[in-house]
Amino acid sequence: MLKTLFSVSAWQNLSRDKADTLLVLIACLLVILPHTSHLQVWNSVTAIAVLLWRAYVTFSGRRMPPKWVLLPIAAACMVAVRMSQQSLLGRETGVSMLVILLALKLLEMHAKRDLFVVTLLSFFLILSNFLYSQSIATAGLMMVALIAILTAQITFQYTGKVPPLKQRLRHSAGLLLMAIPLTVVLFVLFPRIQGPLWGTPSDGMARTGLSNSMSPGKVSNLAQSEEVAFRVKFFDTVPPPVKRYWRGPVLGKYDGRTWTELMLSDFPQSAVPKVEIIPRSKAIGYQVTLEPSNARFIFGLDIARIVPVIDGKRTIMTRDLQILAQQTINKRIRYEISSITDYTLDPNLDPVIMQTWLALPPNINPRTQQLVEQWQAKEQDPARLVSLVLQFYRTEKFRYTLQPPILGQNEFDDFLFTTRAGFCEHYAGSFVYLMRKLGIPARVVTGYQGGEINPVDGILTVRQSDAHAWTEVWLHGQGWLRIDPTSAVAPERIENNLARALPRPVSALGDFGVFNSLLGSDSLIGRLRNQFQAINHAWGQWVLDYTPQKQRNFFASLGFEEIDWAGMLRITLLIGAMVMAAIVIPLIRQQQKRDPLDALYSALELKLAKRGLTRLPHEGPKTWAQRLRLQLPDDAVMQFLDIYAAQKYASHVPPNALATLKSLLKKIK
Amino acid sequence: MTSMASKRLGFRARLAQRVRKRTLRAGVPEAGIVQLSLRRVYIIPTGAGFAFLVMLMVLFISSVNYSLSLGFILTFLLVAVALIDIHMTYRNLAHLYLQAGRCNTVFAGETAQFEFSIENRRKDTRYAIWLDFVSPEQDFAEQAVDIEGQSSQTVALTMVSSQRGWLEAPKVRLRTRFPLGLLLAWSYWQPAQQALIYPCPEANPPPVPQAGMQGDEVQQLGHAGQDDFAGIRNYQMGDNVKHLAWRQIARLSVEDGGQLISKQFEGGTSSQLCLDFAHLPMQLDLETKISRLTSWVLQAEKDGLSYSFALDNFHLAHGQGSQHQASCLRALALYGKTVGSASNYA
Repeated sequence: MLKTLFSVSAWQNLSRDKADTLLVLIACLLVILPHTSHLQVWNSVTAIAVLLWRAYVTFSGRRMPPKWVLLPIAAACMVAVRMSQQSLLGRETGVSMLVILLALKLLEMHAKRDLFVVTLLSFFLILSNFLYSQSIATAGLMMVALIAILTAQITFQYTGKVPPLKQRLRHSAGLLLMAIPLTVVLFVLFPRIQGPLWGTPSDGMARTGLSNSMSPGKVSNLAQSEEVAFRVKFFDTVPPPVKRYWRGPVLGKYDGRTWTELMLSDFPQSAVPKVEIIPRSKAIGYQVTLEPSNARFIFGLDIARIVPVIDGKRTIMTRDLQILAQQTINKRIRYEISSITDYTLDPNLDPVIMQTWLALPPNINPRTQQLVEQWQAKEQDPARLVSLVLQFYRTEKFRYTLQPPILGQNEFDDFLFTTRAGFCEHYAGSFVYLMRKLGIPARVVTGYQGGEINPVDGILTVRQSDAHAWTEVWLHGQGWLRIDPTSAVAPERIENNLARALPRPVSALGDFGVFNSLLGSDSLIGRLRNQFQAINHAWGQWVLDYTPQKQRNFFASLGFEEIDWAGMLRITLLIGAMVMAAIVIPLIRQQQKRDPLDALYSALELKLAKRGLTRLPHEGPKTWAQRLRLQLPDDAVMQFLDIYAAQKYASHVPPNALATLKSLLKKIK
Repeated sequence: MTSMASKRLGFRARLAQRVRKRTLRAGVPEAGIVQLSLRRVYIIPTGAGFAFLVMLMVLFISSVNYSLSLGFILTFLLVAVALIDIHMTYRNLAHLYLQAGRCNTVFAGETAQFEFSIENRRKDTRYAIWLDFVSPEQDFAEQAVDIEGQSSQTVALTMVSSQRGWLEAPKVRLRTRFPLGLLLAWSYWQPAQQALIYPCPEANPPPVPQAGMQGDEVQQLGHAGQDDFAGIRNYQMGDNVKHLAWRQIARLSVEDGGQLISKQFEGGTSSQLCLDFAHLPMQLDLETKISRLTSWVLQAEKDGLSYSFALDNFHLAHGQGSQHQASCLRALALYGKTVGSASNYA
C-alpha cells in the first residue's frame, strides 16, 4: 500500500494539485489514526468520513462544499462533543474538538494560509497522541507524520516546477535530520519545570499505580508505567532488594471478584484496636520524596516505627499498619521516617478479630475447595500447609505475565487449574484465598517492591512499575508473616525487577523441545524479545522518564551541583549555539567556493604581509605593484600582479594564467 | 480605547511610511556582477512564522503540564526545524550573483523592460525567489523564479515610463520564503541600468513641413524626392518599403535568391525636408515642441522621406532609415537632460 503511494509513477498520473492534497490528507490521516483507539466511535467515524469526503472532492474534481453546508456540520459536531463529554475543558474534549476541527478545515482549504492552519492543528494532534501513548511505535508513527506534514508545507511553497515527491520527502527528512542534534541538546539541557501547571491528575485518565482495591481477574493487560512513585534517601544502611517491601493499602475483604480494604465497621465492635509490634532489629532511618498521587497513601519500608509529619499534620497509622495522610497528596512531598524489617507482629491476635481475616464468600470455586480438602487431609499444621501451598505454586506450571487471560466466575478455579498465568495480584489473591480456605488468617498487602539505586547519588527510585502485591499470614506464636507467592513463581521479580522477570514465556509450552528451542530465553525469538524489552526499558528510563530531577542529577554529575534555571539556560544557549553553528556554518559557507584566482592573490598578500609589505585596503593590484616596485624589486611579484590584473579586469584572458601564477607564487619567498 | 488604537495605528503607519521611504529609495547603482553577500540579506518571521512561534509555546506548556517527554521532543524538534529553516531561507537568497542585462527603448508612456541575469553558483536549485521593483511612487507586480544549480536565469521586470530621457531601473527587491514559509528573507539591489525613453509623439501633429517652404508649398509634401527615378539597386536594410521595385522583384525567380530590389531616386525636393527645432513656433512650450518634432520624425520615416535634423547644436545631415531615426529620437529624448545621471528620485 505504502509502496504504491510512494512509487513515482502512481504520483505522476495525478495532477500536481491532486497529489499535493493527497499528501496533506495522508499526513492528517496519520495524525488522526492513533486517536481512534480512544476517541468515541462517532467521533472517529465522522473524522474519517470527512477525510474521505475531501479525498472524493479532490479526485472527482468537484468544488468544495460551501460554507452554509460546512457550518451546520461543524456546529453539530461541537454540540455532539459537548454532549458526550462531561467537562468543557477536559483533555478528551480538547482532543475530540481538535480532530473534528482538523478534518473540517481540510474541506475549507482554499489558500496557502489555510494550509498553515492545517499544519498547526496537526502538530497539536501529534502532541495529544502522546497523552495516550509514548511508546516507541507511537514515536515512530508520529515521526512519519511529521515528515509528511513538513513535506506538504514545503510543497505549497514552490512557485514554479515542483520536484518529484521523493526529492521533497528527502528535503523534509533532511531538515529533520539537521534538527536532531539541537533537539537532543535542548531535550537534555533546557531547564525543565515540574508539571503539572494546573490540575491535570484529576481530569481524564487515572494514573497507573496503587489503588485501594484490586480485581486481577478483570485485567487483561497491565500497562507498565515508568513514572516515578517516590524516591528514597537512606541515612546509613541500605536494605537489600529482597527486603525492600514498601507497604501500601492492605486488602482484607474479598467479594468473589474484588479485594478491598477493611473498613472500621467490618471489624467486630468488641475488638481491641491495639496492634502489638515487637522489634527484633535496629530501625532504619530514611527520607522519602513522594510524587503526587491524588491518594492519601504514605509509603514506608515494611513496618514504620514513627509515623511522619506532613505539612505540620501527623499522619495516621491504620490497624493493618498502613500510613495515611490527612489529605490527598497532589503535590510532591518529602518526609523522614524510620522502619524495622525484623519484627514480630501481633503474636496474640484477638480471636474475634481473627474471624475478619478468615472471611470468604461461600459457594464459589468448587475445584479449589476439593484441592483444599486434599491438603487438609494430608496436613494439619498451619506452617506446613503454607509451605505445601507454596510448593504447589512452584512445581505446577505457573507463569508470570502482564497479559493474563481474563478469568471467569470462579476465578480461582480458572487461575489455579486452567490459565495458570498472571501477575502478582493473581498470586497474592489466590494465595490468601487458599490460606483462608485452610483456616489460616491472611491478607493481601499492596505497595511497591524493590526500586533501583542510582550508583551516582545512592538515591533509590521506586517506579509505578515496581507496584506489587504480596500477602501476610498469621501463624500462632509467630504473628503476621510476610509471604510473597509471586517469588515462588518468578523469583527474579523480587530479586531484580519487573523487566527481568517478564521474559519467561516458555512454561506454558512445557516440554516440547522444538518450541522450547524456538521460544526459550536462549532462542533467537527469546533473544529478540529480550532485546526489545531492553530497548523498551532504556526508552522508558532515558527518554520518557527524563524528569526535572533527572536533569538536576545530570547537571550535578557534570559538576554543576546547585545550578538554577538561569544557569541551565545559559549552558543550553551556549552549547545549543555551538551545535547550531557546526551545522549551519558549512551550509552557508559551503558554496562560497573561492575563485582560484582570488585564492592565489590572497596567498601572495599573505606572503608579502609577512615581510611587512601589506597591501593597503584602497590599493588595487596595479597601484600596489607601483609601490612594491620601489620597496621590493622582485620580477616575479611584478609579473604575478601584471597577469593577475589582466586576468581579473581585462576582457582578454591570457592562456594558462592560473598555472603561470601558481609557479610564480612558488618562486616568491 | 479606540482613540488609542487609532493613535497607535497612526504611529505604525507613519513608521511604515518612513521605513518604506528609506528602503525603497534608489541607492547608488552597482555596476558589474553583484554578489548578494551575507550582510545584505535581511530576514524576519512571516505571519505564519509568528503563529508557529505561538504554537511552539503552547506545545511547550502542554508538555510541561502533562509531563510529556515525547511532547518535549516534538517541541524541541520543531524549534530546531524553525532555526534551521531560518538559515535555509537566508541561504536561498545569499550568494546569488546578479547582473544587469539589456533593456528596450520605448516611447514615454509605454512599458520599459529591464532584463537581469541571476546566477546560482551552488549545486542545488534555489526555488521560489520573488523579484520586483520597488520605488516609493509606484507598486510593481512580483515575479517568481527558480534558478537551477550552477546556471543563470534571465528575468525581465517591467516599468511604465512616464517621461523622456534616461529611465533608471528602480531598486530590485528579491524575496524568498522557501522552504517552510515561516520566514521572509529579502535583499535589495540597485542595478546600474537605464532605459532610453523617447519622447511621446504628439497625438495629432500638423503635417510635416519642408525646409524653406511656406504656405501652399506644403501641398507638395509627400511627392518630394520621389519624382526623379534614377534606377534600381539591391534592397538594403532601412530602405523604405514603399520604394520596393515590385515589378523587378517579380521578374526574379526564387532560384535566383529571392532578392528584394529597391528603386532609387535622385535629387528632387526630398533633400529639402529639414526638421529643425528652431523653426517651430515660438509660443509652444519645450515638451510640446519635442513631441511635435518626434512625431514628424516618425511621420517622415514612415513616408520614406529623407530629412535633415537640427536640435540646437545637434545637426544631422539628410538621411533616412532606422539608424537615422534612432539618432534623431535619441537627441530629442535627451534634449535638456543631463546625460547619464538623470536620476528620477535624487
